[in-house]
Amino acid sequence: MWKNYLTRLVQSLPFFITGLWMTIAVSAISLAAGTLIGFFLGILRTRPNRLFRYLIGAWVDVIRGTPFLVQIFIVFFILPEFGIHLDAFPAAILALTNLGACFICEIVAAGIRSVPWGQKEAASSSGLTEWQQLRYVVMPQAMRTILPPLVGQYVLLIKDSSVVSVIGVTDVTRVGWLTVQRIPHGLMVFGLVGLLYFIICYPLIRLSNLLEKKMAKGTR
Amino acid sequence: MIRFKNVHKWFGKIHVLNDIQLEVGAGEVLVVCGPSGSGKSTLIRCINRLEPIQKGELIVDGMEVHDHKTNMRKLRAEIGFVFQQFNLYPHMTALENVTLAPMKVRKISKKEAISAGMEVMEKVGLGDKIDAYPAQLSGGQQQRVAIARGLCMRPRIMLFDEPTSALDPEMINEVLEVMKALAREGMTMVVVTHEMGFAKEVAHRVAIMDVGQVIEIAPPHEFFSNPKSERTRLFLSKILSH
Repeated sequence: MWKNYLTRLVQSLPFFITGLWMTIAVSAISLAAGTLIGFFLGILRTRPNRLFRYLIGAWVDVIRGTPFLVQIFIVFFILPEFGIHLDAFPAAILALTNLGACFICEIVAAGIRSVPWGQKEAASSSGLTEWQQLRYVVMPQAMRTILPPLVGQYVLLIKDSSVVSVIGVTDVTRVGWLTVQRIPHGLMVFGLVGLLYFIICYPLIRLSNLLEKKMAKGTR
Repeated sequence: MIRFKNVHKWFGKIHVLNDIQLEVGAGEVLVVCGPSGSGKSTLIRCINRLEPIQKGELIVDGMEVHDHKTNMRKLRAEIGFVFQQFNLYPHMTALENVTLAPMKVRKISKKEAISAGMEVMEKVGLGDKIDAYPAQLSGGQQQRVAIARGLCMRPRIMLFDEPTSALDPEMINEVLEVMKALAREGMTMVVVTHEMGFAKEVAHRVAIMDVGQVIEIAPPHEFFSNPKSERTRLFLSKILSH
């Protein structure tokens, strides 16, 4: 019996590959946008301006303190009540970008705070602008602290992207749901789904570990 | 060059600078000493507004440091600041440390910056260390790179905040020698230090601070041989005895 399932599963492989592409597309777009926004917010969060600091801090706390499933329901089912209608794909991108930006903001802010205050004092004493201080002195040092957890966060976000299947985005998780209705062998079907996530995430996990070792070695 | 007029500063309720009156002329070398917590580091950090003052006037190189509207970047480019903890950029070589500000603030070309950088590195006796990272240098060498970093901007004033306090004793002299050479060239310098040998040799005046006030200021020979206040005598007996 299971041999028959396996044959049919192999025949559905192209369907899984389409789903995998969707997972990669949603993740890649959200991670890229989330990284940009996350760095921007993280830098703003370490500025002296209190308003920005509190606003960003409050938003990050709300997003980090609520389930992603609830967030994506709000974007897809509640926003239309306020006249904002989004298709499943842009809704997924919006929700995942926002989630990524919030986590990355915290990682970036922590990295910037890890750079000794004297570095900023030395840079500003020599007449560099705020932007130059950040660009040439603070960020290159902060990146050592930021990179390993940043890549680790990517892994978490790629896995979180499976949640977007609930609003009808045909990512690899939803392909699993649909397939298991035709091939009623859950272990086999979702084993394949899990394997596909693992194939994307494992190199990133290795990269994160490698960066961590490298950064630890290169400190003063 | 530097003029403090009734300057006050508070950290919370602590009155760290209490009605400071002080003038430093062009080419003058002023040494500031005093017990820890007396406000001497705060005093020197106010000069380039690493610390803002709350009351009074502070005029440096013709610019009003007490005025919030003053463009501090322009003034800071004219003032070299040497920290107790060196604060070299650990991700850059010595030469990159020295040439960053000239290229980004003075906007000179990389080629010019490198030749100016080599020149100041030679001057502090580290011409052979331009490609070393700070972590590969001794404390004394790091502090000399920090001095070179200040000098490469061709500043009008150099400020030193306890430049030898974080150094092992055998490295103190190599830093002091560089500073003495600078003083003899006529650089305007304010130096917070307890190195009284340095003060005797090159300072034009020595000031002593206590609880946020300048309690005595005099040329070194007077300051050391005939201190007026009891507190100066007490302080000198403590630091000169070892």
